[in-house]
Amino acid sequence: MSPVDGAGISNPNLPVDIAVTKGRVPGRSEEQIPELHEVDCPPELRERIEGLMARYPDRRSASIPALWAVQERYGWCTPDGIRQAAAVMRFTPADLESVASFYDLLHTDPVGTHRIEVCTNISCWMRGGDELLDAFVAAGEGADVHITGFECLGACDIAPMASIDQRYYGPLEAAEAATAIEQLNAGADVLPDKALAARPLAGDTPPPTGRNREPESRNRPIDGEVRGG
Amino acid sequence: MADPRETRVLLEHAEDPALRTIDGYRGYGGYATLEKAYREMEQDEVLKELEDSGLRGRGGAGFSMGKKASFLPRGEMAKYLCCNADESEPGAFKDRELMQRNPHQLIEGIAIAALAADAGHAFIFIRGEYAEQADILDAAVAEAYEAGYLGKDILGCRRDLELVVHRGAGAYICGEETALLDALEGKRGNPRLKPPFPAVQGLYGGPTLINNVETLSNVPKIVANGAEWFKGFGTEQSPGTKVVSISGGVRRPGNYEVELGIPTRELIFGLAGGPEPGHEIKAFYPGGSSSPVLTPAELDLPYSFEAMGEAGSMLGSGSIIVADDRVSIPHMALRTARFYHHESCGKCAPCREGTNWTVKMLERVVRGEATPMDLDIISSVQQNIIGHCLCVLGDSMAMPVSAMVNKFRDEFERVIAEAGMPIAIVQGAPEALGAAT
Amino acid sequence: MSAKEVTIVVDGREVSAVEGEMLHDAARKGDVEIPVFCYEPKLGEPVGACRMCLVEIEGIPKLQTSCSTPVRDGMVVHTRTEQVKHAQNAVVEFLLVNHPLDCPVCDKGGECPLQDITMGWGPGKSRVIDEKRHFQKPIELSPLVAIDRERCILCYRCVRFSQEVSEDSQLQLLDRGDRTFVGTFDDRPYVAPFHGNITDICPVGALTSYTYRFRARPWDIEQAGSVCTLCPSQCNVSFTVRDEKVKRVITRDNHDVDDGWLCDRGRYGFEMFEAEERIAGPRLKGGAEVEWDEAIAAAAAGLRAAGGEVAAIVGDASNEEGYLVGRLLREGLGSNDVDSRQSRGFSRAAVVRLAQPDLTIKVREIDDADVILVAGTDPLHSSPILDLRVRKAIRRNGARLVVATERPTALDGGAEAIARYAPGGATHFLSELAAAVGGAENVASPLAESLRGAEKVVVIWGERIAREGDGAATALLDLADACGVAGAEGAGLLEVPDVTNARGLREAGCLPDAGPGLGAELAGGRSTEQIRAGLISGEIKSLLLFGADPLRDFPDTPAWEEALTAADHIVCFSMHENATTAKADVVFPLETHAEKDGTVTHPDGRLQRVRPSASRPGIVQSNIVILSLLAETLDLSTGIDSQPTAFAALTEAVPFYSSITEEKIGGQGIRWQETEAASTIPTPDGGALSSEPTTSATGEGLALGTYRDLWAGPITELNPPLQFLTPQQRLEISPADAARLDLKQGDVVRVGQNGSSVEAHVLIKERMSEGTVFLAEGVQGGNANALLNGGPVWVEIQKLSGVDA
Ligand SMILES: Cc1cc2nc3c(=O)[nH]c(=O)nc-3n(C[C@H](O)[C@H](O)[C@H](O)COP(=O)(O)O)c2cc1C
Ligand code: SF4
Ligand code: FES
Repeated sequence: MSPVDGAGISNPNLPVDIAVTKGRVPGRSEEQIPELHEVDCPPELRERIEGLMARYPDRRSASIPALWAVQERYGWCTPDGIRQAAAVMRFTPADLESVASFYDLLHTDPVGTHRIEVCTNISCWMRGGDELLDAFVAAGEGADVHITGFECLGACDIAPMASIDQRYYGPLEAAEAATAIEQLNAGADVLPDKALAARPLAGDTPPPTGRNREPESRNRPIDGEVRGG
Repeated sequence: MADPRETRVLLEHAEDPALRTIDGYRGYGGYATLEKAYREMEQDEVLKELEDSGLRGRGGAGFSMGKKASFLPRGEMAKYLCCNADESEPGAFKDRELMQRNPHQLIEGIAIAALAADAGHAFIFIRGEYAEQADILDAAVAEAYEAGYLGKDILGCRRDLELVVHRGAGAYICGEETALLDALEGKRGNPRLKPPFPAVQGLYGGPTLINNVETLSNVPKIVANGAEWFKGFGTEQSPGTKVVSISGGVRRPGNYEVELGIPTRELIFGLAGGPEPGHEIKAFYPGGSSSPVLTPAELDLPYSFEAMGEAGSMLGSGSIIVADDRVSIPHMALRTARFYHHESCGKCAPCREGTNWTVKMLERVVRGEATPMDLDIISSVQQNIIGHCLCVLGDSMAMPVSAMVNKFRDEFERVIAEAGMPIAIVQGAPEALGAAT
Repeated sequence: MSAKEVTIVVDGREVSAVEGEMLHDAARKGDVEIPVFCYEPKLGEPVGACRMCLVEIEGIPKLQTSCSTPVRDGMVVHTRTEQVKHAQNAVVEFLLVNHPLDCPVCDKGGECPLQDITMGWGPGKSRVIDEKRHFQKPIELSPLVAIDRERCILCYRCVRFSQEVSEDSQLQLLDRGDRTFVGTFDDRPYVAPFHGNITDICPVGALTSYTYRFRARPWDIEQAGSVCTLCPSQCNVSFTVRDEKVKRVITRDNHDVDDGWLCDRGRYGFEMFEAEERIAGPRLKGGAEVEWDEAIAAAAAGLRAAGGEVAAIVGDASNEEGYLVGRLLREGLGSNDVDSRQSRGFSRAAVVRLAQPDLTIKVREIDDADVILVAGTDPLHSSPILDLRVRKAIRRNGARLVVATERPTALDGGAEAIARYAPGGATHFLSELAAAVGGAENVASPLAESLRGAEKVVVIWGERIAREGDGAATALLDLADACGVAGAEGAGLLEVPDVTNARGLREAGCLPDAGPGLGAELAGGRSTEQIRAGLISGEIKSLLLFGADPLRDFPDTPAWEEALTAADHIVCFSMHENATTAKADVVFPLETHAEKDGTVTHPDGRLQRVRPSASRPGIVQSNIVILSLLAETLDLSTGIDSQPTAFAALTEAVPFYSSITEEKIGGQGIRWQETEAASTIPTPDGGALSSEPTTSATGEGLALGTYRDLWAGPITELNPPLQFLTPQQRLEISPADAARLDLKQGDVVRVGQNGSSVEAHVLIKERMSEGTVFLAEGVQGGNANALLNGGPVWVEIQKLSGVDA
């Protein structure tokens, strides 16, 4: 038998596109990944993320650094920013949001321009970390600053302490909270003499001569951590 | 200047800010060991030196570093080295000091350890909060590349090593070695099942050596001076020096480098100045917040892996937190539990729910809404956690909380009974202690 | 790989196991049940998260998770010691710390692993008096699935499904610790073609289908096994039936067919059984419902009146139904004009060659393939479960994938090489590829590199390439040859046909040039396209359509419109009213796959049984009975009056089905290639296939390609829960072409060709080749079939309105 209309019409005269993609991510569903033209990624951000991916044997390793880059660009990991990073990295936005939401320093909700993390963990708590946090929260009222209590920041030697825009300061007095916020608002150097960087090694300092102040006696309610500011 | 009770090996010259730069570091003889190792030594020689030294991991578990390196299979496959700089356990801040003051020592240690592990790619996984230290490391790594100590064909010895400083983003669990690998692979930092152990199947599925910052910082000194020299410090089972972080109720908190085996009292009273005048020590964590608390009766124990283990606690990361007589132990237990509750990755049920439930119960205790029977439940829940989790984070809460409830049961009962009465829980005002700056 | 047998001791009993298998599975062989929540081997590597399965292993101080501990010879295991009981009690208690005890109102109640394990292994009392964690009570995870996060025990099965099985990576864990919850990016709905599976694997009542919530309780339902016939995957399903109505579709795990998964089409496509459009009894033109005898008489009269100038096209049908229609035409009406294809297909000679047992791969063998070539099909749209299979082979066993298609596929992300040829260019490309595998240097060389030298090559090809004629079969066979497929262990071809039972219908005799069993060549039979031409020219007067809807599904809608209008008489068997039934003189109702009794043949040759589970609506009768009554009225005595007699006649007529019995088919089906009678398949008659030269066409404008979208078709219109998936016609275009034509994403355009046109929204796709655009077939309003005419088509694009206008 032979077909009636136009036997074996084929269309070979358009070029064949070939893509060889060694180094693939097995099976990722391309359908779920936004395409670059849909996300409007600023070129600097795109280049930066591509540079980050190039540092690792597997591009996925760049997801935390890429999210840092998004956060730097937009102030927090905005859904649009995550989509942009996902399009550049070729992962689903959900992949990246899942990562971002795991880590305390990556914010998936809006936060202020400045960020202050006040340690309220054991050593800082013993030395007034809670009061310090309260002082910061009070001083930061209305300012463009995101203030949170935080778990141990690895600086118990300067307890009670806080990390202000990713730099450590301590030991801090409650009164210094307001100073720090004023300095932040004014764009000035924050508490220069309380910066960790300026501190000598413990054993190189003379024994303390300070007086001993009696602690305030009270029973603070400590359920419900103070989070956000 | 350094207190004579200190033995500064890793912190030698640390007071000199120039040490941070490659020139400063080289001025004190830095990178000579790397040159020697790359030019003159075989992988096995380096390995042997490390094994013989008896260097035990400084990240918490205290496993022999050389032995761990020797577990990596030989062969053509890509191998990796990860430096664990996640330091997030409450009370620990020694790695921060080492990276901040002497980054090149760490880089040199990594480069030599990479030789022992035959790794071509190394990573420093540093906690995201340590931005300052990460910046310092970035600068130092750039200098080391520039000087030819990292990169392709190091010193013309046909060996390559890429080193990347990878910043975390705030999750204590990433210090757990397999969670660190997942985080470094760009995923959520959940621990993996072991076996397979990272030495066999780690980063990107390849054999991976994971060591703590302090462990790796020891490497250049050991390879330069020999295992015997290293064993000259410390005790037989705990050779070497240790940077000890001391904080809490002491007059001079900070990092002190001492020989292991030094009496604990010497550390807390001699170096850190002891408690505030007029106060006494009530309890202390000898090895970070996950170590079961000890009481003043145990102050004279030598500060070593073995002595702390025998006392039912552990040396862990070597971080002492002192609680003086003003600290309410139930509140401290709650702080401790809250930390682990906040940091539990949530993957396994006993840790996720156990930390959460423990916090709720301890909150009831400090609010006075508990009965002594609840203390039994708290203890029993800790026993239900221990040994049942995927990694040891759950145990890390259960052990100290359990120790506190057992050793200070009276106080828990008193707090329950007297809830609402004023109890001092806040220790000292900062200016009383701030003279150090 | 020979698996080593080992012996382990579980609770004092010796159990033989396979070295390396997980202790949990090995223990089960010794009838020791170790409780699990997170463990589910279908989801890939164990995660050891729930800790429910802890056991004591001699020589290891800490308890170990049996779900993740591979057995070694001589392992001595205890699962009921005090230490283990302590751990089990502890874990159950922990899981209940946050789990609400709302079992009485929970849909999972009565079929809930958490309930069962709490009863069997829990401490029997609760010490938790603290507040549980709170989430908003059930919220929409998708329009089909509700999530109650308070009930979630964080076993991660659902997120592992999303990441490790369907690989859509949309469902994720968010936040950390006990704040962890299952969610999606930016709280967007979880829309992915397999997502309903998460309701099957959730061990608690956290994930439930809106279509089943509060519809029934486990004690007033029955489970009835059948086969889903909504696509060629033929997944095994179990219908949850209450009051003789289907309330739910769940999987009936068959590793040889579906691996225990279902696509959402099969899972949620059951409300159409009772749709308003469902035809509940026979009717005549204009909607007059009539009694059966009247309808049968009218149909017979019309068919007979054509005096042999009559044709039949079979679509959605069982083997027996197809066989009966074939006989009705050939023996009852004296016409060989029978086909079961929507467009041009291969000749009998090509069909016979491709049906040879040594060429066909068994579905489960895909798991172990070395290289998989997907050619001319996108399994996700045409046979969804195969998409999961291919992903699994890549992910678990490191299979390599190469893709050669017109249109970007869902599998591209996992491919190591991709070729995108022009619409209608399969023959050309596949023959180049065959040559390249054989050593030639040509355009296909980069793909050939992956195939060359590989041992277990699996070629998954789409029936669509048959539209190019027998040349495509030659190319395919040459390629199979070059890859050494024939007879090689674990290598072979698998067709993805256009309709569910394509293979069965061909083998049962629904081809113009071959009767049942692909027997000797028949002369003079017309194929689908020829039937259409015959109707238009008046050479064919009467048409019997059985489960086929040409106006929706077949290429060249205008021509079909003309053909159906020209026909004197049309008899149409259909499940639902549609544009085609509107043109029919007599309409008969069809049974659904929940009502029908019959066999179907999987593309890999597996005969499976569709079984009646639910009651038929209205006066619907068994299709077999109606067909045999029709035959009788046409004075054809078939001896068939029921499914058993039809099945017996079929297996007698198809020699290579002859050793198959209903018992052998059983619950899992049986491949005819694996029966004694397999050798009776006709061998290829020597000589080459028709080698009509492929004429290459050129044209003006952009080359049009079309594809069948998973959701384009009545399925979304007839099932209210699926309606949100109804696709909009979209013109898929490369960024370069879009820029050239000044088109933006979302613009509305008119795509025209030779007087016909459809409207579409512009969708720019980076993976599209320049010079080619795509439209979906079967879309309601804007069906791309309207533009097709049997050859390459070039279209013009006119912008109607811009997004920013
Ligand atoms: C929850 C948890 C947190 C940990 N955090 C750290 C850490 O911050 N830094 C570290 O070096 N080791 C940490 N460890 C120990 C590591 O898992 C690992 O044992 C260590 O990095 C190995 O290095 P080492 O042998 O040099 O000590 C942690 C372990 C656990 C279980
Ligand atoms: S013990 Fe805690 S941190 Fe470790 S895996 Fe389990 S949940 Fe995660
Ligand atoms: S089933 Fe083994 S840990 Fe969950």
